[in-house]
Amino acid sequence: MRGIAHVARRELSLIAGHPALIWLTLILPLLLLAVLAAVFLRGIPTDLPFAVVDLDRTETSRSLSRMLEATPELTTHPALSLSEASDDIRAGRARGAVLIAQGFERDLLDRRRPEIVLFYDNQHMTAGAIAARGARGAINSFIGGAQMGMLRGQGMDTTGVAALVQPVPMQIHPLFNPAFSYIDFLLSAVVPAVVQIMAAAAVTYALALDFARPATGGAPPMLALSRQAGGVLPAMLGKLIPYTLIFLVVIGLADLVLFGVLEVPLRGSVALLLIGAVLFVIAAALIGGLAYLLMRDFGLAISGVAMMLAPAFGYMGIGFPREAMPALARWWSDLLPGTWYLQLRIDQTLRATPRDLSLTPLLALLAITAGLAVLVLVRLALMQRRALDGGAP
Amino acid sequence: MIRAFRAEMAGIFRDRQVLMIVVLALAIYGLIYPAPYRPELLRVVPVVAVDLDGGESARDLLRRIDASESVTLTARLTDMAAAERAVQSRDAYGIVLIPQGFERDLLSGRPSPIAVYGDASYFLVYQKVLSGMAIPVRQMGATIAAGRLMAGQQLDAETATALASPAQLVEVPLFNPSGGYATYVLPAAFVLILHQTMAMGLALVAVRRRPSPAPVARQLAGRVLAWLVIYAALLPLFLVALPRAYGLPWLGDLRLLAALGLPFVLATGLMAQLIAALLKRTEVIQPVLLAMGLPLFFLSGFSWPIEAIPPALQAIAAAIPAVPMIDAYTRLASMGATGPELATAIRHLWILAALFGLGAALAARSARPSQG
Repeated sequence: MRGIAHVARRELSLIAGHPALIWLTLILPLLLLAVLAAVFLRGIPTDLPFAVVDLDRTETSRSLSRMLEATPELTTHPALSLSEASDDIRAGRARGAVLIAQGFERDLLDRRRPEIVLFYDNQHMTAGAIAARGARGAINSFIGGAQMGMLRGQGMDTTGVAALVQPVPMQIHPLFNPAFSYIDFLLSAVVPAVVQIMAAAAVTYALALDFARPATGGAPPMLALSRQAGGVLPAMLGKLIPYTLIFLVVIGLADLVLFGVLEVPLRGSVALLLIGAVLFVIAAALIGGLAYLLMRDFGLAISGVAMMLAPAFGYMGIGFPREAMPALARWWSDLLPGTWYLQLRIDQTLRATPRDLSLTPLLALLAITAGLAVLVLVRLALMQRRALDGGAP
Repeated sequence: MIRAFRAEMAGIFRDRQVLMIVVLALAIYGLIYPAPYRPELLRVVPVVAVDLDGGESARDLLRRIDASESVTLTARLTDMAAAERAVQSRDAYGIVLIPQGFERDLLSGRPSPIAVYGDASYFLVYQKVLSGMAIPVRQMGATIAAGRLMAGQQLDAETATALASPAQLVEVPLFNPSGGYATYVLPAAFVLILHQTMAMGLALVAVRRRPSPAPVARQLAGRVLAWLVIYAALLPLFLVALPRAYGLPWLGDLRLLAALGLPFVLATGLMAQLIAALLKRTEVIQPVLLAMGLPLFFLSGFSWPIEAIPPALQAIAAAIPAVPMIDAYTRLASMGATGPELATAIRHLWILAALFGLGAALAARSARPSQG
């Protein structure tokens, strides 16, 4: 125990005297989280550019144009033709367009059910879908208004009209996200994504400092450390514990801002979240440790960490459910601690998931952490035996 | 200049780590990034039904929903608690609840509401659940309304249909009509990978390079030549061949890709020289660039709309070559943008190349060993 504490104390003073380590462990992760939070801070996009092609130019078509303009999601501008509107969409000057064909008013009055065509940019899906949702709402309320007028013209009273206009009204309940804001989800997701890669990178760097032969010659400091700590295992623990604590502080600070200042809802168990965070940070640190111990070279190890963890965000199942991924991708995502910690975070904050369903991500985190720990221990034992066989001190 | 060219080539190809980043990582990322989205799954979203009415009309409505393009009914449950649990455990992403008395209200001419619950944790999935439910419900409603008008107002079928739905909304999603997630994410991911591996690899070469007394301009020209030779092969491989292999649309003009690619490679390579001059140490360069990946992904404005990003952040992001390149490449490859539509991005990249070139030259001059 005293050995571990000794190495941990030494590590903390190493970090304090090493600007690169302070940057890697504290400043850079917090800076990244702040930048990412700032990206989403303005909330759901409004005033997306939108083209209106009005070839009818009647009082009726103009009233539809006005309803589109009044939609908060959109800022409309006229386009002379459909090809002009599609150029606008291709160039990014519009996220969508509405085409009101010539003869629209006449066809409406003649009960020929004219078409209103809504185009939207589905390549930039988020922006396109938000623009389309705004336009759809405006168009549907325009059609509803026109219908009311026509039914009244038919001599019907307002109460009779209601059951006619919408015989099967659909009540819509967005689950887990009543404000329909993805910001909470994204904010919650960037924490595991950033911490996973930064914790692994920092531990890789920290091990490189002590395992590599110093430029001045002589034995790597790890050998002396192991002697002082009473073995490789306590020395390793002493090195890893400070990073685990630092990154837990990073998560804690981020979450204070998230739940305290930005008011992301916390509808779940703080205890489960805490256990998950501890397991997750240990696992991320062990990935960095294992990468270094396997490669014994900082450059190769950090490249390995990069290849494993840089694409991890795509595998975490934010925006795209893991359940819909192909089997191979799903297995890979199962192996990454960030996947499970993110699921736990989302489930125990935004989705208010029953606790028993959250046992799965917790057990998965436990299994990953244990697996990584075994691999690190086996590797250390092999290295130690080789060092003994080789007659090294 | 030839010497600088050779030195840069050797720096890339003789350094195991740089080669691993520039070539191997590029290949591995090309496999790993797209894997989750490969089959463009989730065209049909699973939903469950809670039918408390059980009448003929309810069954008809559920049949219509099951037949809709974007959702499929996977289970009929007897109570809401079971349905909610199915959504909690991500076995289903939506619930349609048909209340008791649905049929009776319909027959007596009263509004007969149903409730739809969609898992709004996933933006795209939620959209599919809503459209998959709303279209059949609206169609059924229009049929019923027309029937009532014919019966109550003694109208002919055509007039009744026109009154029940006086105009039709036709929706045309452009450029990614099936709403595939791969088509949406991968163009941006490919540019980002190219940018990150290039910046990282070339910055490492720069840090490990021994200072040379040769004139700065010639040194830079030789290096630029080396990057152009390498990326003349890698860029088309990554931005044309790979997307094709994944079945992504390619509507672009190759000459325009060259017009974008040239300043992009210059700007990224020169930026790497500047990063190397600022950070100085390999152990710092890699983690810092690694950390930049995720923020760049969101700052490039393809997933989170650029209109919603604070202007100050947009201005900072505009200094990174990947940002204008992601937007321009996506518009070129997936949307078939033409020269005039890409002119701003091409100019943007040339300005970045010029600025980073100037910065790299100044940094190199101050680091250059004095002669004599």
